[in-house]
Amino acid sequence: MSTEVKKSNSLLKAALLKIVSEKVSLIALIIVAIYFGTALLTSLNLVASTWNTSIGASYLAPGADALFGTDIFGRSVATRVIKATETAVAIGVVVSIIAIVIGTTLGMLAGYFGGIIDEIIVWFYTTFSSIPSIMLLVAIAFILGKGTTTVFLSLGLTSWVGLCRIVRAEVMKHKEREYIAAANAIGATHSRKLIKHILPNISHLLIINFTQTFDSAVKAEVVLSFLGLGVVGRPSWGTMIDDSKLELARGVWWQLAAATLAMFVIVLAFNILGDALRDALDPKLKGK
Amino acid sequence: MRNIFTTVVLLLSAVLLSSGCTKKQDVNEKVLNLVSPAEIKGYDPIQADDLYSGREISKIYEGLLQYHWLKMPYELVPNLAESMPEISKDGITYTFKIRKGVKFQDDAAFPGGKGREMTAQDFVYSIKRLADSKNQATGWWVLDGKLAGLNEWREKNAKLPASNYDEEVEGIKALDNYTLQFKLAKKFPQFMYSLAMPFTYVVAKEVVEKYGKEFINHPVGTGPYVLPIFDQGKKITYTKNPTFREKLYPSDASPEFKNLLADAGKKLPLVDKVVVHVMKETQPAWLKLNKGEIDYYSVPKDNFASAIKDNKLTPDLAKKGFILEIAPALDVTYTAFNFENKLFHNKKLRQAMYLAFDEKKSNELFYNNTAFPAQSIIPPGIAGNIKDYLNPYKGLKLEEAKKMLAEAGYPEGKGLPELKYDIPDSTVSRQSGEFFQQQMAQIGVKIKIVTSPWPEFQAKVKKKAVEIYGLAWGADYPDAENFLQLFYGPNKSPGANGSNYDNPEFNKQFEDAVVMQDSPERTAKYEKLNKFLAEEVVAMFGVHRQSYILEHGWLRNYHPTDLHHDAVQYLNIDTAKKAELLKNF
Repeated sequence: MSTEVKKSNSLLKAALLKIVSEKVSLIALIIVAIYFGTALLTSLNLVASTWNTSIGASYLAPGADALFGTDIFGRSVATRVIKATETAVAIGVVVSIIAIVIGTTLGMLAGYFGGIIDEIIVWFYTTFSSIPSIMLLVAIAFILGKGTTTVFLSLGLTSWVGLCRIVRAEVMKHKEREYIAAANAIGATHSRKLIKHILPNISHLLIINFTQTFDSAVKAEVVLSFLGLGVVGRPSWGTMIDDSKLELARGVWWQLAAATLAMFVIVLAFNILGDALRDALDPKLKGK
Repeated sequence: MRNIFTTVVLLLSAVLLSSGCTKKQDVNEKVLNLVSPAEIKGYDPIQADDLYSGREISKIYEGLLQYHWLKMPYELVPNLAESMPEISKDGITYTFKIRKGVKFQDDAAFPGGKGREMTAQDFVYSIKRLADSKNQATGWWVLDGKLAGLNEWREKNAKLPASNYDEEVEGIKALDNYTLQFKLAKKFPQFMYSLAMPFTYVVAKEVVEKYGKEFINHPVGTGPYVLPIFDQGKKITYTKNPTFREKLYPSDASPEFKNLLADAGKKLPLVDKVVVHVMKETQPAWLKLNKGEIDYYSVPKDNFASAIKDNKLTPDLAKKGFILEIAPALDVTYTAFNFENKLFHNKKLRQAMYLAFDEKKSNELFYNNTAFPAQSIIPPGIAGNIKDYLNPYKGLKLEEAKKMLAEAGYPEGKGLPELKYDIPDSTVSRQSGEFFQQQMAQIGVKIKIVTSPWPEFQAKVKKKAVEIYGLAWGADYPDAENFLQLFYGPNKSPGANGSNYDNPEFNKQFEDAVVMQDSPERTAKYEKLNKFLAEEVVAMFGVHRQSYILEHGWLRNYHPTDLHHDAVQYLNIDTAKKAELLKNF
């Protein structure tokens, strides 16, 4: 049993080593770290605290005065893009956590107990996933009203089904293994077996899933904001792109370009990192 | 082989594309191409509470009165009425002579499919239909409490399984086939305006009964155009009503419209076919206009800079023969306070907020500097607007605002809770919300923006579930009463007074003023009320907007207007000029 835990530790360590040793994934890791660092600094008001102040006329083109030009109120687009990192990272992290908590809990329960519990949960997520997710997003946003919390919840509540399926299958496999039989023999409770024994053994799935959910949450926020259901009162890449759909008619392209670029870089970095993590963590791919 | 295939595909698509681009319009046919920026709710006059439905309904249905097409200020003239009514000395009884020989449009609802003659009884029926609570008419407010016995009839019939239309109501009677008499519950000179609104247009009982719930899609009126059936699509095509009566283009005009008299005396309508394109997004409509496929369209906010310089068209647009029409709209934008919240009873707080709002900047950002800053609620062009009046509390006066806020008990905003600002969820609304938030931050007032879809936003206002919110009001008729009623106590939500302002003194003065006939005394009263609301800062009045409309050189007789829902019948197309101008496209 203890060897199992040790092995999983070394797996994580090995995975990190593997990521660092590869150039592309190392760059991706650094970029993600920069984004997270920026988000932390802006939330502490150490960086981009002037995002709501005018620095010049409306719609200044990019130049020496403003790196990425200014928006309708003469605020610096560059500063706003940086401030919006905070929103994006917050949404990515919170949504992923909500999705992982729900997906893992339901998936483990279904996989471990089987029978009627499994049937109920499978029925529930099958039904749930048959509803087009964009409709569900809009519906939840309507019920809860507007705001950042709504975006967190609506995205979190619609992103757990995939993980739930994977976890369920994985747990079904694990509960037949010898180490669980051993745990049974010494009289471990269900919760002990689930949390102490099975969970660490499927944790690599959660990490991989985190990178994927983070990605799609950042993108979904843009869609919500474009539909007028997104974050209000603080900058987000989505509202910036929403603004620019009108501004394009006057030739103002920089807000769209800056927000899209910022989003593109983190989504790409997370994708590469996710791939590298999967390669490193998934035992089935090991040595390939 | 693959190369040949690719070539064939490319050639085919090229042929398809080019045929799409060069699709020639038949310039010899007189067709008007117009845009409706919103979907049409249907063709039931009593439900026409939005401008866009009202405009479509007015192509098919008509009322007793109409506004003279070529007179400004707006002047009521008879339409289905033979002449203006005889009004009793006490201002209570209005007697109309109805035009003879007016026929409903041909429809299967009539015997033999031939439309029958319209009579005074049809008006009695139509008005009762508006009052019938079973129909849940959105236009009931125009007559609510106005006609003697009508409210009683409404309440009595609400309890019955089927409303009794045969029961006589004192307020509206057909004395004979061609004489119609209204009796008001109390004096109300604005009553005549309601007879030019779509809500009171005449419908035929046979048609309503034949189509039942589907009546809304089967318009049959007396008007210039027919639409056999309405299906909610992207294009609505009207054709000339073959049995339309002899109605002529006006021969007299106010000085500014003398140039629109070329068609004087001609039989209306002037074009054979009208096509209305339903286009909610501004950019596609703007492109269509620029291709000559739409006859006129207002300049979208973000295309302003590329279309207009110094209030003139840019040379390339002018070269294509476009004409720019600029006209003030009878409206006001405002930021309202919900007075159910005791916080806003603090007059100095309201004044401080108003003083802190930079109207000049807002005008520049959202209206390209084309709107008139509103000093009060009544727009220019309506009696009661005070020329050259400057509201002492209109911003931006930052120092005064800060001082006023301190006097209100919230120095630098301390002690004031965060205020919720409700707006619809369009991009521009959200931007205006952000601007408001910035302005208030200057004096330390914290604002939280809450956006909702338009229907939900309206519902929140009606339920009094808002604190501060942004809105605009467009005139239903050219009388200050239509604006001042927005702050009249008994009109509280769900009525039009979404601010829930209720001041007994104002209410009394308002009641006194609205029953007066148009006169210098009434204007003086209106001005006093207007000034009172402005200086009390019952709402932060924003701007009176102007419309900037681009029309093609081949369109004749057009002028921008707020109240002529029936404008289409007067418009004409110069086909020769159209053929010539289209060569430049």
